[in-house]
Amino acid sequence: MPEVKTSQFVTASAAAMLDPKLRRALDRVGVGFDVARRSAISEVTEEAWEEWREEARSIKIHTLDHLDYYLELLHDNVTAAGGQVHFAADAAEANAIVSHLAQNRGVKVATKSKSMVSEELELNPVLESLGIEVYETDLGEYIIQLAGETPSHLVAPALHKSKEDVAELFAAKLGLPYDEDIERMAAAARTALRDKFMQADLGISGANFVVAETGTLVIVTNEGNGRLCTSAPRMHIGITGMEKVIPSMQDLAIFLRLLPRSATGQRISSYVSMVTGPRREDDEDGPEEFHLILVDNGRSRMLRDPKLREALYCIRCGACLNICPVYQRVGGHAYGWVYPGPIGAVVSPMLTGLKESKSLPQASSLCGACREACPVKINIPRMLLELRHRTAESENPQERASSRSERFLAGAYARLMRTPGRMALAARIGRIAQRLLPGMPKPSSSKNRSWISRVPLPLLSRWTRARDLPPLPSKSFRQVWQDELSEDTRG
Amino acid sequence: MADSRPDGKAANDGNENLPGRPKAEFLRSVREALGRPPSGSGRAVPPAQPYHRLEETLPHLEAQAVELEARLRENRPLLLDSFAEMAARGGWNVHRVSGVEAAIGRVDSLMSELGAARIVRSGQPVFDDAPVDNALEGRGIQVTAIVQGERAERAQLRQEIRRADVGLTGTDYALAETGSLVIMPRRGLSRLVSLVPPVHVALVRPEEVLESLHDLFLLRRLEYHRRGGEMGSYLNFITGPSRTADIEMTIVQGVHGPKTVHLVLIE
Repeated sequence: MPEVKTSQFVTASAAAMLDPKLRRALDRVGVGFDVARRSAISEVTEEAWEEWREEARSIKIHTLDHLDYYLELLHDNVTAAGGQVHFAADAAEANAIVSHLAQNRGVKVATKSKSMVSEELELNPVLESLGIEVYETDLGEYIIQLAGETPSHLVAPALHKSKEDVAELFAAKLGLPYDEDIERMAAAARTALRDKFMQADLGISGANFVVAETGTLVIVTNEGNGRLCTSAPRMHIGITGMEKVIPSMQDLAIFLRLLPRSATGQRISSYVSMVTGPRREDDEDGPEEFHLILVDNGRSRMLRDPKLREALYCIRCGACLNICPVYQRVGGHAYGWVYPGPIGAVVSPMLTGLKESKSLPQASSLCGACREACPVKINIPRMLLELRHRTAESENPQERASSRSERFLAGAYARLMRTPGRMALAARIGRIAQRLLPGMPKPSSSKNRSWISRVPLPLLSRWTRARDLPPLPSKSFRQVWQDELSEDTRG
Repeated sequence: MADSRPDGKAANDGNENLPGRPKAEFLRSVREALGRPPSGSGRAVPPAQPYHRLEETLPHLEAQAVELEARLRENRPLLLDSFAEMAARGGWNVHRVSGVEAAIGRVDSLMSELGAARIVRSGQPVFDDAPVDNALEGRGIQVTAIVQGERAERAQLRQEIRRADVGLTGTDYALAETGSLVIMPRRGLSRLVSLVPPVHVALVRPEEVLESLHDLFLLRRLEYHRRGGEMGSYLNFITGPSRTADIEMTIVQGVHGPKTVHLVLIE
């Protein structure tokens, strides 16, 4: 598995927010992807969209509830089509299967189309250590491979790179003259990769869906690299998380309507490719061998957990990233592992462990925008709250996200809230303190009141380091009720 | 079933001792995660409430397909209009022509506009109806046809496709809902003809146009069951040119696939 840096979220996100280049890149996400998504939805009407989401969700619920059955059906039908299915409990097993197949078949060059699971497995260095050349062929993935980085977005992996960055990278790594014209850079990548496609012995792809009924792997792409990877080499290995299975070929209609619209606002992507086994005897071309690797790698932990199982319904469209106020501020890398954004804040703690990723569930304002945007209606805020609850209550101190002083404050607050007398007393003390302490705004009940940005008291000063507090109003609600409102209702 | 060895090892393949988890063990752990008791038979237990689509039998699907055909026939003129409109919105250059002669003429003039010197063409029935080769060759364009029945040497075929200026194909289906062509590579139809050359030109016949994704998957599913569980190795939706927006979210056409795509709709 790639290095897990989720524990550095607090420092990484603080640094990311100060990066003006990243700021510009992230601004494009909101205005680009999310606006396109909304316009695609309004074209089909909100009502139709809502029906599709419901149907897709119910298909996912059913399939995941009977995952063992559908995996076996998938296995049988891939096998019947002449392909081979492999099961991998973790990243090491998946990498061992690919390595074995590559070495055994004398593979020298492999081309890859975009696969988030293979990022999770950190497959490339394993193959490279065997002397195999591995080329990422999605333009965004190619860029970050050349740069030695990791994807920062589920759909647009090189989102954080400016055209100047890419031009410098191509000049340094491909020996091309510096040219920041985007069209010409895309053409340069086409040229550089065309030969690799034709030389490759092995094509590796992910899967957006796998159909149990027919044993079909489905990839949704725009560039054409996915088609080349699954057509030109003599062997194709598809690698996918086991949750990607759907029961019937006919289920695809609904998912192919939801995924491109949610991801990029397209009615459909340029290409959808469906692979069922290797080339047949009288096909003109296509791989002689087809392998499908179904990966668990922590997913059964999510399956086992009824409160978090629905994270497995995710179709990796990235809509929740594009709309998230936290993702839009900090970008993908701050999340510290393969899956960023709101869904990543649920998935990473489950796949890498709560101890490492305990800060991620805190990285949300719980505004609920992710849930609204999700094409399969995953209740991400509920799961983030659940994980926060676990980080707060965990027996294991290493899984606790809060400091001792934060827990002390929360405990004290809870005790106050339970006793009206103490609460009133504390509020009175608070009002006095608010008047006496330096740097406090004037108490007021008006709507445009100023905020307390720093409380010069031991524990509260830390609390307010990254948060503003509303000042206490001159009258508490209880007082207002007693003095004014209750009179009104009686009168 | 391939999973025949009693020890459950090498569930994937008889000859090779591959790394990875045996199928039985993997599925057992999934089952256990779902909180279900292990199955007695060693095979997964089907859902108590069966999935409605998988319950449909071949006669069900046949009956739905008959209805579908009737609906398509009735709506054909409207369907062709909406297909042409959605295809244009999806990035195709759409040419509507009436009759085979006009189609051949259109392909011919298109090739001269494109300045094509070498063309690879798939061997599909549409080219029996609309034989384009003579006209093109008369202009001095080299046409390499992938002729059904002949097994072109693989490497040589690939070289021809790489050198071609234009790939010329028919289609298996066309979808009004998305403006897509759906092509199923097989004998006579290389996977690469519509992909590797910088320009793709496709001929579409009215009877190939379906209304929706639902229509397509119903027909494919029916065909799969009719053929006793054979899907064919490959199926591709093509909607407009190859695209990327991976650098600064700026859309560029023609990154790994064709930059320009033309569609000749023969009415």
